[in-house]
Amino acid sequence: MHPRLFKTPALAAALIALIGVCSQAQAHNPMCECKAIEDGQIRCTGGFSDGSGAPGVTLDVIGYDETILVPGKLGADSTLTFKRPDSEFYVLFDAGPGHIVEIDQADIEAP
Amino acid sequence: MSKAVAAQPTSTLSRLWHKWRFHINILLLLVPLGFMPKYFADASLFRGDSGLGERDIGTVQVGPWSLQLAELRNEAPRPDGPAGYMKSFNAALCDTCIDQVKAAYLRIGKPRSLRAAGVIFFGTPYRMGATLPIPERTKADAELWITLEGWDGSMHQAAIPLSQASPATIAWLAQRGAK
Repeated sequence: MHPRLFKTPALAAALIALIGVCSQAQAHNPMCECKAIEDGQIRCTGGFSDGSGAPGVTLDVIGYDETILVPGKLGADSTLTFKRPDSEFYVLFDAGPGHIVEIDQADIEAP
Repeated sequence: MSKAVAAQPTSTLSRLWHKWRFHINILLLLVPLGFMPKYFADASLFRGDSGLGERDIGTVQVGPWSLQLAELRNEAPRPDGPAGYMKSFNAALCDTCIDQVKAAYLRIGKPRSLRAAGVIFFGTPYRMGATLPIPERTKADAELWITLEGWDGSMHQAAIPLSQASPATIAWLAQRGAK
């Protein structure tokens, strides 16, 4: 009688744990982070909030006058390194229409 | 006789379990009932029976077109890991503009270009959804910009104050700013 008594709650606990595991599927929102590194270079890393990387995704550096200063694509490691432009600029991580992240030059962390 | 005595449950806990186990199981069956109101409210919200969203923002005129906007949830932005805080909006295009509008975008602040128009609405034109990232440094007087792109290549924009679009977000920003 005792072994049965302990088996059932264990099964119930396992079921409850399973319910916790299959939570609602999350959207994968684009994200991008840029950091200033040595020699006036900037390194940007792109990705999605579900943890996936973004190799080959377009990342453009655009001037405030809308001219494209650095047309780029992220490398296999989802990063792109470029020289900091002299004029005012922003970084546009462009994974398709409506799937973009803009980073203003003021928001790029110094090394 | 002695055999029957040996089979008696020993601990108090064991005796309680044997006496009440059927009643406890019936109580367990009642637990899901407590979640029913939320379940039915959500089912009705996602089916569209209770409108576009939890809180209607109203109709916004965007050039020759218009769309009806609503907050999916009347609550503060939800965190989405490293992507930051997100707020979901729903929209419905006006009946006459469904055939003319190619895409609808949402952004906090005026977009720099059509390419950077913000997040795109997806879904049926009668009930589209967009999840907008809310930067933590958003000001209380920020504006929500709606960009509509037509199949003919035209682009029209309109803005409404964020305080009108989502008072819950403004309250959340004020609370975070105070920290």
